[in-house]
Amino acid sequence: MSVLTVLPDNVSVRAKPGETILAVLSASGYGYRIGCRRGGCGICKVDLREGEVYYDHPVAESVLSQEEIAAGAVLSCRAVPVGDVTIELRDERLKLNSALLRSIRAVKAPTTKE
Amino acid sequence: MGILRLGYLHVRVTDMAEARKHYIETMGLKVTAEEAGKVYLKGWDEWDHHSVVLEEGGVGLAKLGFKVQSEDDLNTYENNARTFGATVERMSKGEELEVGQGIRVTTPSGHVVELYNEITYLGNEVGYLNPYPFPRHETGISVPALDHMLIMAEDVALNEKFFMDTFGMYAVEQIRPEIDSPARIATWLSAGQKNHDIAIVSGKDKGLHHFAFQLEDWSKILRAADIFAMDDVSIDITPTRHGITRGTTIYFFDPAGNRNETYAGGYRAYRDRPTTIWTPEHIGRGIFSHSRELNAAFTEVYT
Ligand code: FES
Ligand SMILES: [Fe+2]
Repeated sequence: MSVLTVLPDNVSVRAKPGETILAVLSASGYGYRIGCRRGGCGICKVDLREGEVYYDHPVAESVLSQEEIAAGAVLSCRAVPVGDVTIELRDERLKLNSALLRSIRAVKAPTTKE
Repeated sequence: MGILRLGYLHVRVTDMAEARKHYIETMGLKVTAEEAGKVYLKGWDEWDHHSVVLEEGGVGLAKLGFKVQSEDDLNTYENNARTFGATVERMSKGEELEVGQGIRVTTPSGHVVELYNEITYLGNEVGYLNPYPFPRHETGISVPALDHMLIMAEDVALNEKFFMDTFGMYAVEQIRPEIDSPARIATWLSAGQKNHDIAIVSGKDKGLHHFAFQLEDWSKILRAADIFAMDDVSIDITPTRHGITRGTTIYFFDPAGNRNETYAGGYRAYRDRPTTIWTPEHIGRGIFSHSRELNAAFTEVYT
């Protein structure tokens, strides 16, 4: 079991092997800006701050270019963390959708007020 | 005379195996031909060779095609497109598989539109002699046919004018920033008696918002959503009604992230109707009649 940490909220939740970043956050009761959930619209891009991800589906260059990947951009609906990973949302904060789900997956209480 | 319907569209998919599963097993389209990296599909109630073509690699719309009635129509639309100042070229027989000669026009928004009057006839699945209402063994949600599509354009008013002047379409409904404004936030255009064959909404040029398949009625919409849940289809908007066109709908995504819709009902349109106008305060209800809230995805999420 690895840990996914999300900035700027500084929320950490448990990630199960093979789960995408989106799947981890949904299972942890958190929402953020997403669209198609299938790697097509590009709206779910976040920035990788620490760790590594892999893609278990082909990702279109027009959605996530090589330059973006080199700059640390991650397509969060398709990216699967490898070990502990820290990401940063772009101009938004996590939205708590379910305190129940959070209580199951959270490993650390947020350090900033939600 | 003129444009008969949205005949086909080519859509790019990142993973052909997953796309096949979605369009064949979940949507119920049938394969009519295959080429390297391309799969040609049609619905059970369509008689022409294909309506949806999957192209492996990337996402979004490659091109779309309107079927017209005659060769004269091709000449008329070719002249109209030139008069408008659009890029237009002749398309030779077979350039599009099983399709005759035609013209290829690029809209101001950069969308590639092909017009053709001949395509190989395959026949629908119930036949034309004493037919039953639907085929006995259905697959997935068994969509009968492609219905309409919605594209994105940076200048909606200009592209609306293009479709009206060049292809003789008329505006059935519009969203305007003000009642009397010449600007358009979105427009729904018809070539015949559908309440829209193509719609345009404000966004990045060349964008594909969605393409829609017909379903018979609301009960089929409900059943489709149930099947989508079984097949883990990413649903954007669960069954509801559009205030605009009054159609009942589900928005969802194919496995590459292209938005699809299933569409049932809505009114019939006539060329002599007044254009329905929506103003920004009511867009939410116009797009989603019950939630009355325009979600960010409607304007920001597309391929
Ligand atoms: S939500 Fe559309 S690409 Fe991730
Ligand atoms: Fe639609």
